[in-house]
Amino acid sequence: MALLEVTGLVRRFRGLAAVDDLSFTVEEGKTLAIIGPNGAGKSTTFDLISGLLPAHGGTIHLRGADVTRAAAHTRTHAGLGRTFQVVQPFLDLDVQDNVMVGALFGSDRGGGLAAARAEARRLCAFVGLGEHLHRPVSSLTLGDRKRLELARALATKPALLLLDEVMEGLTPAEERDAVALLGRIRAEGVTLLLIEHVMSTVRDLSDRVVVMDYGKRLAEGTYAQISRDPKVIQAYLGTEELP
Amino acid sequence: MRRDLGLWAIFLVVVAAVPWTFVGGDRYLMFLANVMLMFMTMALSWDVVARTGQLSLAHGAFFGLGAYSVAIAFKLWALPPLVGLVFAAIVVAGIAFALGLVTLRLRGIYFAIATLAFAEVWRTVALQIPDLSGGTVGIAMPPLFGGDRVASYYVIGAIFTLSLALSLAVRWSRWQYAVTAVRANENVARVMGLDVVRVKVGLFTASATFAALAGAFYMPFITHTDPFDAFDIGRSVSALVFPIFGGLYTSAGPVIGTIVMRSLEEYLRVTPPWKDGYQVVYGLVIVIAVLFLPRGVVGLAERYVGRLPWHFSR
Repeated sequence: MALLEVTGLVRRFRGLAAVDDLSFTVEEGKTLAIIGPNGAGKSTTFDLISGLLPAHGGTIHLRGADVTRAAAHTRTHAGLGRTFQVVQPFLDLDVQDNVMVGALFGSDRGGGLAAARAEARRLCAFVGLGEHLHRPVSSLTLGDRKRLELARALATKPALLLLDEVMEGLTPAEERDAVALLGRIRAEGVTLLLIEHVMSTVRDLSDRVVVMDYGKRLAEGTYAQISRDPKVIQAYLGTEELP
Repeated sequence: MRRDLGLWAIFLVVVAAVPWTFVGGDRYLMFLANVMLMFMTMALSWDVVARTGQLSLAHGAFFGLGAYSVAIAFKLWALPPLVGLVFAAIVVAGIAFALGLVTLRLRGIYFAIATLAFAEVWRTVALQIPDLSGGTVGIAMPPLFGGDRVASYYVIGAIFTLSLALSLAVRWSRWQYAVTAVRANENVARVMGLDVVRVKVGLFTASATFAALAGAFYMPFITHTDPFDAFDIGRSVSALVFPIFGGLYTSAGPVIGTIVMRSLEEYLRVTPPWKDGYQVVYGLVIVIAVLFLPRGVVGLAERYVGRLPWHFSR
């Protein structure tokens, strides 16, 4: 059974279809990357899958269960986690407390404050924020905020983690760290679904790639396949070939 | 947290001891003491809703609905005031639950305006159904405990203690994380697994119940209610000014804010030369406080004394 199955998904904004009859499947343990030009509907797709936006058509199945109409928090409880393209930490809470929110209310909730605190510390150390547990979030660099975003999403104990452009705005060194971190997350048994612009990340991390354009699925395949697909090259990069 | 609990226990002992001091023999001072606890209850309950990021202007209306519930239950079924308290709590909890569901998606200023509209409607409603509400004349009731202000002090003291318990329970439990997350960013809170509807509507209902209890106490305490007094928007304003002055999102803030602001208001009201224009002076104090004490008295104290024991303990 597929971990996530999206079938015929539709979302319109004032009649304009941002996501148009989109279908794809994420298998357990296989990283899927969604790529596409700006405005292709990638982030909207994430909002639909995570339940922040209602779909106007199609279905979303998580481990075989239909969650198309389920509330966002129920999907989180069912094992769906996500980060946001624009990092959105809880500014009134410090680093550790931010992560605690995920541990307290995610799919592994009910453990109490002490357990959540311990889990938050473990995850902060895991993503490399162990030194900053009690820092105010506003004082973190963008790279560290991205780490926080990851730690907080991991705290909800997702089986499937939706990552919306985690590499955006990172320095090359931070990017390498992030790729290594995503590898470790995958090794812990979390399946990744990425939206990514950085092609080297897509190449290094993904098992399969879905290319979106104008809300539709333009192509699907391995990185090697899609990087040779003339349709993709034209829509995505103009005429040059992918690296 | 244990130290905080100790401090609150001492505070409650002091509150309970007030009638045994010189205050107990003075009917005017005992009146003020009763009203002080009543406003502390209002301020604490208002702050609990504020923690979820909602600015309620309906708390004055919940107060008035509490007052009318007791009065109407007395008029129709001769329900004694203490039973009336429970009746009022149930009625207003139901109304607040419905209002909470309707206004769920509204945030910030839009929520405030919706609750203001809700508050303003009830005065008209009360005037339009004179058979039930007594119209402009209102409803009268014999005084609570025959006018024994020490006995009534313990009734409102018990209600206050419960509202304080709610405020502290939210602060010291996972609810603290829930409300802070919801206040900061509802969408992220949902993705973190939080049932935002439950958090917002649940706390709104609990909070409104305490505002209703305050009103349900006040009605037999002053023996009379009418549409203009019961649904005075000034009470909604007090319920938000006191916590803002004292320090938002804390339990000590609303309590300290009420003590300072209510005392100041009363002092200005009865003391020449302020007497005639006391509301102007009072208003100025509020403006200055909002401008220069963004985190209230508690925030000011924290800046100079360091982290206070009642601050959200980690």
